Amino acid sequence: MRKLNADVVVVGGGSTGTGVVRDAAMRGYRAILVERADLAQGTSGRFHGLLHSGGRYVVADPLSAAECAAENAVISRIQPAAVERTGGLFIVGPGDDPDFGDVFLAGAKAAQVPAEEISPGAALRLEPRLDPKLRRAFQVLDGTVDGWQLVWSAAASARLWGGQILTYTEIVEIIRGSEGVRGVRAVDRKTGEAIEIECGFLINCAGPWAGRVATLAGVRPVEVVPGRGVMVAMAHRLVNRVVNRCAKPADGDILVPVHTVCVIGTTDVKVADPDNLAIPRAEVRQMLEAGEALIPGFQQARALHAWAGARPLVKDDRVDDSDTRHMSRGMAVIDHAARDGVAGLVTVGGGKLTTYRLMAQHAVDAMENQTGRRHPCRTADEICPGQTPGRNYLVSCRLQEREADRLDDQIICECELVSRRALLGLWDEFPQASLDDLRRQSRLGMGPCQGGFCSARAAGLACATGKADGAQATGLLRDFLANRWLGLAPVLYGDQVRQTALDYWIFQGALDVDHLPAAPNRPAEPPAAEDQGSPPTRRQASLACSAGPAVAGEGVSL
Amino acid sequence: MATALVIGAGLAGLAAAIRLAQAGWQTTLASKGLGGLPLSAGTVDVLGYAPALLGDPTGRVARPFETAAALAAHDPSHPYAAIGADRAEAAVGWLRDLLPELLTGDLKTNITLPTAVGALRPTCLVQPAMAAGDLAQNRSLAIVGPSQLKDFSPELCAANLARQTWQGRPLLATAYRIDLPARPDEADSPALAYARSLDQTAYQRRFAEAVKRRLKDEEAVGLPAVLGLRDRQAWLEVQESVGRPVFEIPLPPPSVPGLRLNDALTAAAQTAGVRLVLGSSVIGFAAAGRRLKSVTLRQAGRDQAWAADAFVYAPGGFESGALSLDAAGRLEERVFQLPLRGAGGSRLGGQETAADLGRLINADYWAEQRLFAAGVAVDQAMRPLDEGEAVFDNLHIAGGLLAGAVRWSEKSGEGIAVGSAAAAADAITGRR
Repeated sequence: MRKLNADVVVVGGGSTGTGVVRDAAMRGYRAILVERADLAQGTSGRFHGLLHSGGRYVVADPLSAAECAAENAVISRIQPAAVERTGGLFIVGPGDDPDFGDVFLAGAKAAQVPAEEISPGAALRLEPRLDPKLRRAFQVLDGTVDGWQLVWSAAASARLWGGQILTYTEIVEIIRGSEGVRGVRAVDRKTGEAIEIECGFLINCAGPWAGRVATLAGVRPVEVVPGRGVMVAMAHRLVNRVVNRCAKPADGDILVPVHTVCVIGTTDVKVADPDNLAIPRAEVRQMLEAGEALIPGFQQARALHAWAGARPLVKDDRVDDSDTRHMSRGMAVIDHAARDGVAGLVTVGGGKLTTYRLMAQHAVDAMENQTGRRHPCRTADEICPGQTPGRNYLVSCRLQEREADRLDDQIICECELVSRRALLGLWDEFPQASLDDLRRQSRLGMGPCQGGFCSARAAGLACATGKADGAQATGLLRDFLANRWLGLAPVLYGDQVRQTALDYWIFQGALDVDHLPAAPNRPAEPPAAEDQGSPPTRRQASLACSAGPAVAGEGVSL
Repeated sequence: MATALVIGAGLAGLAAAIRLAQAGWQTTLASKGLGGLPLSAGTVDVLGYAPALLGDPTGRVARPFETAAALAAHDPSHPYAAIGADRAEAAVGWLRDLLPELLTGDLKTNITLPTAVGALRPTCLVQPAMAAGDLAQNRSLAIVGPSQLKDFSPELCAANLARQTWQGRPLLATAYRIDLPARPDEADSPALAYARSLDQTAYQRRFAEAVKRRLKDEEAVGLPAVLGLRDRQAWLEVQESVGRPVFEIPLPPPSVPGLRLNDALTAAAQTAGVRLVLGSSVIGFAAAGRRLKSVTLRQAGRDQAWAADAFVYAPGGFESGALSLDAAGRLEERVFQLPLRGAGGSRLGGQETAADLGRLINADYWAEQRLFAAGVAVDQAMRPLDEGEAVFDNLHIAGGLLAGAVRWSEKSGEGIAVGSAAAAADAITGRR
């Protein structure tokens, strides 16, 4: 049993939670973040990668639009390596209402979102693959953002200010006294160790899982309606700018270039359980057809991977709960002292990744409102560690790095240009990491071959450097391939079928990985959920025999 | 002189072309590019696993052709049913005799070889450079690899071997590293670079000495399969310098043993008089009734109709693009739109529904993916069938396009390829 002590415990290691722990640490609080899986492994790693200019919300939600515009500039400044300043276009297609363009421009002006109309010809010169029959085009300041880089660099900043980050640590109990929240009990899911953290405050940033955390705290239910969004990454950057349909927001109307791929998103289906997100082939089809409307020939392009994310929407009485797209995208900060008479507890929900920093600021402000202490928020003023001011990500960044070390280091993943040194550096930092954990930070196995060549190398490297024995390394390899498949199977068509056949020839034909003996049993999983009287989720069941959580279709690109 | 056109330069296409030319047919082999051999392990797999038939979870096959015959009887849609296990055995024997320097094995029993990740893979014929890896011979193994070769981790290979038993006895395996780049000052040397360096006598000695210095008292030495590309004796030179049996362990592609087979068969085809037309893809055909008259080859700059008396179509399966599944779920054979069948002879092709695809594509990566058993059903002359009738009288199918087997999971790719190639060629030439 490990005992820790903190002013505030933050539950949830997505963008919001990491923003909160950074903000709280910078204000001088002793802050600990607990995340039951890896950082940005849930919603913050499963979106399309859009750093909003605000353009998307200028008509329906001008307040959100203005926040997005302001935060876009802040994030691009304080976390430049996570952001590519691609710019974006809003396109009125041949089937869209051209008058909506005027509504859009007026909204942009009112919300102070920079937007400028350009001629269809100019738009086609910028993005030659667009439908040549497009009627109007508007340029905006959309960018793209790597959710993992964003969250990890915020975490690094939090650590610098004394914040602690506990990943693979699941809350099993929230301890309450007469005064309110007094602490939490948690379990380290990789080692099974029990952890108790004494604290005066808890900020619930669990996103789609926030309702469960609220239930653990014993307050009145917080109703979260997870909206499932399916996204598909294509093997190339079919566009170099974000392309939006200039129409009322609908399914599959954004195409986002991220790293070496581009992502079409997204569907929106209400689901009951954020741990079990299916990727129905019908929704993939719907995305491909939506892509076809923006880029003729889209369906002939090669798809790489699909994933599903759960929107962390908090139910708002004003809208019908079957329509998750129009639920509160704006942030919802629930002060449980006022709402339930439970002091020391705040729940944050809703919101967008683009405005994560602002949400974190509001959450910590809400804590200070309760406690009566006041410190200024400084998260917008300081650049996160490891970032070069003014140097935003470019798609050529990795090439430049490899150009420097190509003669004295091996490239383990050729698709994503991950070097041996980079991979081992991460592994030394996270000795318990699964290949999926390493992937989220390094992009290992996220290119066209989807791990066909690099995953066996990485497993071999684990064995060669003493990070794993034969059984463990085999488990790492098998888990990685099985997890990649969850996002591959739904987009198995065209050239990706050929790739899959080649990968099977390698792993089964030549290496016979399918007949290696199974790993001996890992340490048993802590009976976390069962203790609370609820049945184990599929994720927990699968964890019992594998180091990495098997959750459907994790993002290829984000 | 009768003319034959073979399409495809993988094992099936090359074998069919050689056999046709040997029988006196004027034979042309047209191919888009390199065939599949450089992607293979360079062994001849006939049947390695048959869990459904043998009724045990591993289903490891000891006697490949005997079990192939049983499999054919058990599942008439399996390629070995049309080929016939005895014909397949004769064909694999013919291939071994065609390449005596490159293939060895007694045909009756499978040989078990360690893979690069330390699995125990059954196969029928191996290259002489691999033979000492036969676990029936040597059980105390040194596994040695250069640090500059990222596709081979001796530690992973040895660690996995050491946690398995073979025929009731534990395997002993120890990993060693040598520090020797394929070319001076190289940190990231690919397998092919090693193979080319090991074609040279001086490098063979340096390599062998580096290996020898590491060894303790192991019986045999496993090395990555890079022991020479053109010099077929390179492994013997290394073995002599090392002073005990050495064996090659195949790596992911491009595979040096696979390239050796590819080079040897291409040379054999040329010796037999086969005309090779590379850089040509088939884009159409002309037929009169059930007689195929010509196929249209697209080459640099022009499309040309190639007439022949008989055609062997050996283009591979999904991996080569001969079979395709598009975004709308349309499953088809690219050139002739031949009728398609799946595992167990189920009807496929045309528009597959989401439910059909759900049956063909399993959500569990390690489960059998039935999509990859899709292909063309044939008669004993390897002619594609539609409702029991040959689609064309003079079109014969060989290799990866045949329906009814997931080759990488049962380890049967080369046996089906050579067996069907021989069956197709023999049907054309009238040889029995």
